[in-house]
Amino acid sequence: MRLNARTLEGLYALLLLLPFLFTLGVFFLYAFLRAVYFSFTDYDLFSPPQFVGLANYLRLLEDPLFLRALWHTLAYSLVVTVLQTFFALLLATALNQPLRGITAFRTVYYLPSVVSTAAASLLLLWLFQRTGLVNQGLSLLLAYLPHLLALALIFALVQGGQVLWERRRGAPTGFWDPALALISLPLALLGVYALGFLGLVGPREVRVEIPWLPTTATFLGIPYPLWAIILMNTYTTIPTFMVLFLAGLKGIPKTLYEAAALDGATPWTMFRRITVPLLRPVLFLVITLGLIGTLQLFDQVLFVGGSGGAPLEATVTLAYYVYGNVFPSGATPRVGLASAAALFLAGLTLLVVLLQRRLGVSERGWG
Amino acid sequence: MRKILATILVFFGLSTLAQTQVRISGWGGPDVAIVTGLLREVVQPRLDREGIRVIYEPIEGDYTQWLFNALSAGTAPDLFYVDIFWSESLFATGRVEPLDRYFSRQEIAEFLPNLVQAFTYGGRLYGIPKDFNTLALQFNRDLFDEAGVRYPNQQDTWETFEAKLRQVQTRLGDVAGLCVVADVARFAPFAFATGWRPFDDRGHTVLDGNFRRAFEWYTGLTRRGAARFAQDLGEGWTGGCFGGEKAATAIEGAWIAGFLRDRAPNLRYGTTFLPLDPVTQRRGNFIFTVSWSMNAQSRNKEAAARVLRALTSPEAQQWVLERGLAIPSRRALAQNPYFQRAGREPELNRIVFQGSVAPGGVVYPFKFRGFGGDWMRPINEALQAVMTGQKTVDQALRDAQVALDRLTGRR
Repeated sequence: MRLNARTLEGLYALLLLLPFLFTLGVFFLYAFLRAVYFSFTDYDLFSPPQFVGLANYLRLLEDPLFLRALWHTLAYSLVVTVLQTFFALLLATALNQPLRGITAFRTVYYLPSVVSTAAASLLLLWLFQRTGLVNQGLSLLLAYLPHLLALALIFALVQGGQVLWERRRGAPTGFWDPALALISLPLALLGVYALGFLGLVGPREVRVEIPWLPTTATFLGIPYPLWAIILMNTYTTIPTFMVLFLAGLKGIPKTLYEAAALDGATPWTMFRRITVPLLRPVLFLVITLGLIGTLQLFDQVLFVGGSGGAPLEATVTLAYYVYGNVFPSGATPRVGLASAAALFLAGLTLLVVLLQRRLGVSERGWG
Repeated sequence: MRKILATILVFFGLSTLAQTQVRISGWGGPDVAIVTGLLREVVQPRLDREGIRVIYEPIEGDYTQWLFNALSAGTAPDLFYVDIFWSESLFATGRVEPLDRYFSRQEIAEFLPNLVQAFTYGGRLYGIPKDFNTLALQFNRDLFDEAGVRYPNQQDTWETFEAKLRQVQTRLGDVAGLCVVADVARFAPFAFATGWRPFDDRGHTVLDGNFRRAFEWYTGLTRRGAARFAQDLGEGWTGGCFGGEKAATAIEGAWIAGFLRDRAPNLRYGTTFLPLDPVTQRRGNFIFTVSWSMNAQSRNKEAAARVLRALTSPEAQQWVLERGLAIPSRRALAQNPYFQRAGREPELNRIVFQGSVAPGGVVYPFKFRGFGGDWMRPINEALQAVMTGQKTVDQALRDAQVALDRLTGRR
């Protein structure tokens, strides 16, 4: 029997794909099917699984910790995806300018993504301790608030005066004219120094001691420790997405911008009408990757909860909830419940990505 | 010549086959050096005569996860460490061999009875305690001298102890009397001293008036200027504050000795018992202990039992004790001359040893039925919420009680 070329080609392809299909089959398909099976059973890793129907799923909905984890996951995912997409795009646009030494800037801005989560979490713990840099910075800011207010006031007065003077001379000057600010700012600084010297303005005794990590206090419904994780994760993921945007930006023909410039378009109009629409495929990729990544937040919760002393209720996410039930500290594994939660997380991820395809940005256009 | 060589090879090959191999596992870190030394110098020479070879496989990383996985998959070693904290949930799986048939009553009676009791589940013994720890109070002699305050002693009550801490903190300014942590592992002994029990007869946890009294005292230490919250000093445990001379006292077990040896070798510290409840005039304590337990699926149970016996033998425990590495679990060692030696570490080890018996007061093993960390979490969170000023005592205890009721089935 002779195989025709097409069949032969297919066979070769299958042969080359075999190792990947094997790992996919064992570590994804088989694991997934096992998880589906376990989610309908009461299983502790040791005794044979007992079929319990939908009991695990119902128990999830009654567990306050699960509901909290669900809320944290959704809120975290939404906030981080929005922030990282926005700032990555902003940064990519800035770094796409033909400036001297731009490559060095690109390297510097990419560095945070190289930091491991463990190291970044440690930094986070130091920053947000009660005696950490964040509280010390806030203390300093509040202590010198009178100076800052005086600086702003004197700057406004001097700058305003200069602007009026220029306008009277017929020059169409705006308040934020940098040339005038070059004179106003040193004068304002001198003024503040003089006020301080005369004892009219002095630093105040302020000690900000906000417990950022060991707390369940919330801001906009999200606990402080989770906000800390949001800030850190946004900071470390922006660079990766920035690179994707940069690649996308490189693919937009310059002629479009030149034509728009000839038509008198402002930079904002060009950004809105040319850059963003042509970046849609990248934007779709960034948002999808962002959503999937954020929905699976786990390691920072482990570090901030463990070493940072943040209460579980303030940081728990769905991925951590799954882990915490498979390996509960000092208790028997609850594999059935964890499997149900894992499938819930998988379903949620799929749903969120589908929703964003339907309602948000997709490869071809806005939903 | 070839024939002779072949004969020698066959001889050695057969002798290797004749040896029974017993795999043992524990956690990694500093324990690896201890167990390796113990095996080389004490255990293996004794087992060589019996034709048993011990294969030691220490586990770096999360030991509990590894053990649960290995037991579930049927790949666990013959002998392994079991921490008292998660012992009950592991014994309940039926994957650990009861040891009653391998050890006579007399042999078991040689170990401290409360440790034996800690590893007894459903009337059967599932582990031979290898060593243990209790909590003791360490104090920095230099800092107390500098502040002109008398050292803490075993007659101190919560009140007199607190007064000393307050004096140290006031006089030294940047040094805390004690750095407190929001952790059941450090707080509960004070609650035990009041007569509070973690579980009542029906298995429920009730945060009663006794508990509240200890809770109010402990969480109020920072407010009353006797202590600072560990995390505010950039530390996660009282030993960290103590080693860095950020606090004048610490509440830790004998494990602090190794840490201080590395971190602050010149620190002059003394050790005494935890203070007494001024009402009951008793103190409380926890026993933290680890056993050697046997895999129920082991194919070499008899050999494993012999290895277990060698690992917990008087010689092995003496070897460990003399190196100041751990507190052994045999009763006879209470009279050991090591404990009577002068010096920081023998004193620390003596107090920690005595913490498990009568001078320790009301002592419970560090385990909470099968609930583990789930049981500790509501109390830890209540401690933290009050210490950081986020909740009142009433609110924090009410929330903790609701969570514990849900957990222990008390409605």
